[in-house]
Amino acid sequence: MTETIDRRRLLTSAVVGGASLVGATALGSLAPEAAFGAPDQAVEPGAPDPNFAEGRITGISAGMLFVTGSDMALWRIRITGGTSIWKLRPTTFDTVAVGDGLYARGLRLDDGTLAADSVWVNIVNLHAHIAAIGRNVLHLDHKGRRVVGHLVPGTSAARYNNTPAVSDMSMLRVGKHVQVIGAWVPDTNEVEIATVYASA
Amino acid sequence: MAAITGEMSWFCCGNSWGPCGTAGHGACGTCNSGSYQHAWPNASAACLEITRPDRCGISLSRRGCGFRHYTTNRCNGKRIGTTIADCGPQTDLWCGERSCCGSVCGTNRIIDLTPAAYSQIASLSSGLSPCSVDIV
Repeated sequence: MTETIDRRRLLTSAVVGGASLVGATALGSLAPEAAFGAPDQAVEPGAPDPNFAEGRITGISAGMLFVTGSDMALWRIRITGGTSIWKLRPTTFDTVAVGDGLYARGLRLDDGTLAADSVWVNIVNLHAHIAAIGRNVLHLDHKGRRVVGHLVPGTSAARYNNTPAVSDMSMLRVGKHVQVIGAWVPDTNEVEIATVYASA
Repeated sequence: MAAITGEMSWFCCGNSWGPCGTAGHGACGTCNSGSYQHAWPNASAACLEITRPDRCGISLSRRGCGFRHYTTNRCNGKRIGTTIADCGPQTDLWCGERSCCGSVCGTNRIIDLTPAAYSQIASLSSGLSPCSVDIV
């Protein structure tokens, strides 16, 4: 608890003072792998997590994301120098746009803002069947709806059962079940594929 | 129940954006992406008929809506408690699948966590991780 309070004070002073938080701090790294999982679980199983936000971006201003949750909750999410941002790949704040969807994890500050440790922009995790395969595109059936998955050269990778991620998509087959981690293209039925998991 | 090892992933439910917008609140009617919840392959007899972990040689206890499980990310030791809110994953579609971090591996999909829960112990962009699941 003491660490939580101290971390909140650090983040508050950093965002108010405009300081840039980078890498490790005296409280430990703010990188996502260090942020995942507090030693004690403060939130009851089954309950909403106040340190997690979901929704679509309605405004961006001075390092702050204004987000309307899908349940209509309003969020103000502070981006610091220590925030990790993912949008198809690890990226930077300037790639985030109004209209994007997101999930964010961080720490709720006393002013009601969420100081973000990690923000995943437009991320989707689809379980689908391959309906057709084209040049750099997978046509997916996802819960009875068609989703167009774009393969992005240099980024998209495939994992076949227990293999490491590879760029070779040649083992994908029409009719096969796949899991796709990707980035939704807002207001379309299209995603850009980061990783496609397929059974061999 | 002794701890079961396998793979964990995440899924969206409740009100959402994009392709998740049609997800609904899950088999239990309570599922929300922002809550500490999970899908379990044996949440009911009807659920088990779909997920069929037995086809992968796994026997999972029948646990109903609201039951608590504790999931540990075997890559980093982080642990989270969640309650059952949906049926899944469809284990038999992935029989024998294995994911590893270093020498630590998990085989077969045994649990799906909500984004709030998964992101507490792993990065959402990882998609799939080795885990263990117990009830205490």
